Amino acid sequence: MLRRSLGREGLTYGLRLVVLAAALGLWQGLSAAGVIRADEFPSMAQTATALWDLVTQSVLWSAVGETMEGWAIGLVIGVAAALLVGTLIGLNGFAYRSVIGVVEFFKAIPVIAILPIGLVLWGATLTMKFALVAFAVFWPLVIQVCYGVRSLDPVVRDTTTVLRVRGPRKFLTVILPSAAPFIATGLRVAVAVALIVDIIAELIGGGSGIGARILLAENAGPSDYPQMYAYVVVAGVLGVLLAGAFTVAERYALHWHESQRSAKEQTLGYPERKGLTLVAQLSPGGTTRPQGASPGRPGGHPGLAVRRPVPRLVVLVGRLQVAVLPAAVVDTEGAVDPVGDRAGPRRAWLVA
Amino acid sequence: MTPGASESTTATPVISLRGVRKVYGGTGSGTGGPKVALQDITFDVARGEFACVVGPSGAGKTTLLRTMAGLAQPTSGEALFEGTPLRSVPPAIGVVFQDYGRSLYPWLTVARNVELPLKVRGAPRAERAQRVAEVLASVGLADAGRGYPWQLSGGMQQRVAIARSLAYRPDLLLMDEPFASVDAQTRFELEDLILRVRQEFGVTVVFVTHDIDEAVYLADRVVAISKSPGVVTEIVDITLPRPRDQITTKADPAFARYREHLLGLVMHR
Amino acid sequence: MTGPARAELGSSLEHLVVGYVIAGLVGIGLGALLWSWRYLRDGTSPYIYFLYVLPAPVLVPAAMTLFGIGFTMKVVLIAFAALWPTLLNTLDGMRGVDQVKLDTSRVLGVSPLGRVFRVVLPAAAPQIVAGLRNSLQVAIILMVVSEWEASTDGIGYYLVNAQQSFDYVGMWSGIIVLAIIGTLANVLFVAVENRVLHWHYGARAVEGRNR
Repeated sequence: MLRRSLGREGLTYGLRLVVLAAALGLWQGLSAAGVIRADEFPSMAQTATALWDLVTQSVLWSAVGETMEGWAIGLVIGVAAALLVGTLIGLNGFAYRSVIGVVEFFKAIPVIAILPIGLVLWGATLTMKFALVAFAVFWPLVIQVCYGVRSLDPVVRDTTTVLRVRGPRKFLTVILPSAAPFIATGLRVAVAVALIVDIIAELIGGGSGIGARILLAENAGPSDYPQMYAYVVVAGVLGVLLAGAFTVAERYALHWHESQRSAKEQTLGYPERKGLTLVAQLSPGGTTRPQGASPGRPGGHPGLAVRRPVPRLVVLVGRLQVAVLPAAVVDTEGAVDPVGDRAGPRRAWLVA
Repeated sequence: MTPGASESTTATPVISLRGVRKVYGGTGSGTGGPKVALQDITFDVARGEFACVVGPSGAGKTTLLRTMAGLAQPTSGEALFEGTPLRSVPPAIGVVFQDYGRSLYPWLTVARNVELPLKVRGAPRAERAQRVAEVLASVGLADAGRGYPWQLSGGMQQRVAIARSLAYRPDLLLMDEPFASVDAQTRFELEDLILRVRQEFGVTVVFVTHDIDEAVYLADRVVAISKSPGVVTEIVDITLPRPRDQITTKADPAFARYREHLLGLVMHR
Repeated sequence: MTGPARAELGSSLEHLVVGYVIAGLVGIGLGALLWSWRYLRDGTSPYIYFLYVLPAPVLVPAAMTLFGIGFTMKVVLIAFAALWPTLLNTLDGMRGVDQVKLDTSRVLGVSPLGRVFRVVLPAAAPQIVAGLRNSLQVAIILMVVSEWEASTDGIGYYLVNAQQSFDYVGMWSGIIVLAIIGTLANVLFVAVENRVLHWHYGARAVEGRNR
């Protein structure tokens, strides 16, 4: 009955509030009871107060800004380099075979091992941070981009040949969108890894930013522990916000791809496949994957209908991924159904 | 044709559907409003019978099959299995799904897939091995036990699925368009296989299909379902002689008449 | 040249293995638990995600104040950090299991508990393994970071010591050793993965051909 009055959503939010309140209450209770020693670990109340104080002061926000600087610059450099190199390697079979071993090796190096080199070269500076971030982001992303570029569905490839699409147009309208889900997965990981590496660099190497603040607070002794943990909370919240923002961006950009449809729709293969709709799930866990998809490789089976005929680069039509070209119209077998059920012949409008 | 009326029935029908109605809620799915998959379905299936269910796309045939299996509950109306209402999947029912690739477990060998229901029912090891060997031989896969399902062709995989459903000797076998995903040649072989197997195991079969030819070829009775509303249009008794044969049965003029009649029912609804 | 660095490995690897194994078991166990109880999952998922995204090294000071600087601290830290990728991937993988497989299990008479072990976990195995691989990388990082401050042995201690005393040769040897560890761990992991998931790769190869 509670569910009926609140609705499923309301119940979930209520539950989460209860859990949070219980956890915080437990923390405070343990501190007050002395189970958690005051000189070792601050109480919940102290941490919350410190957090509130920080929020109203500029030192917190400048720390966040400094962290974001390293994160953003390193991410941009790493991603740009990875896209470039990954595409080049992916397109050329010979290059791929020669280089992949080296890339896998560097990917396996724990980024923490590179930190000392960074410290020696640049000291505790912004340059050290974004260099480290770029390095950490580059290797796994290169591999993802590579896989994406090489993952072209043979049916799509043949269709493209038959439609006489070649060269740069082929790359832009077929290969890149086809690789997009892989790249998106790689980017999602990169966004998170960049933040982690950035904060590690600050924490261990020094410099400025959230990690550095944590280090300072720790060294200042138990009286500053509330600040330290407040910063820890900030670091976590920042991570959640960045990852969440990326997920939203990904859903928008890749709404046409089947990995964005709800798991329930994909896995319950029974209902007739008509007028599939896109159910946006803002679950914290990120997109759920259909059965058979291996990590890093989105989607299992060729996709189905697109929800609306937005001018997009690639339209999924029946079992085909068809490249979108200007002024070409392809008759399909009832796959693309923009707005619910509609009688009459169905066409996929392909608009560049 | 009166649903449920046949010469000899004082015995409890294996499956009994009365006014079954299934509605899916509409909110959040984007297509707006509740969807009535089945409006009013009423028919019986007698013991030992081979019943085919046909209907146009979107007629809710799969929903109907899931309801008969106990995988879904009707919104209103009754679904009885051997006289008792279906609340969950009874142990004496077997189901063969259309998509064998998704139904067979890829981490188990063929033999282990077939063995699974026996293990779950607590059969001792020796008996399990024997049953598995028997049933695999019945479907013509005596030597395939040690391989994995995905190493086999589509037709062979579906045979494995059939073997798995029969391993524990169910009273009722439900089949959801099982041969739709294989090529025509293989389909004929599998149709004959299922008829043979039905003889051998004495199991009642309800076979959902969109292929009229297949339905007429296999069935003792064909239940035609319509789309909106989802009701039983007609139940046709098929009195073609048994054993059926792909060539002679299909050359029989009666076959063509049944076919014409059913096609007319299905295509215009 | 890598002699002194290698000598420090023993204790580090010990922490790594113990912490990683704990993380793997707890991660899968908790993931399965959360999958089974929807209310528990709904209620805690944002907080779990928070802990997953939180850069674990920020907890080093906290771990030090709570557990001192010995074996316990390192193992707890490694286990805690490495837990989340496995947990989330286990949960995600289990949720993504094909409905057809679940229906089949109901028809075959598999009990709900049996279903978890016989159907859902194997079906989710590829994604669980991906989570475990991610966890291994995290564990290695934490293995080093946990020794960075106030430790008396271990490869991380060796590395920070070398760096701070400008012993470049020592520093490089430490880095090389770490690189080798990372690579070996990866190779080992892939070898085990190919064995355990051979059915998955076999099935995918066939699927690829049939397209």
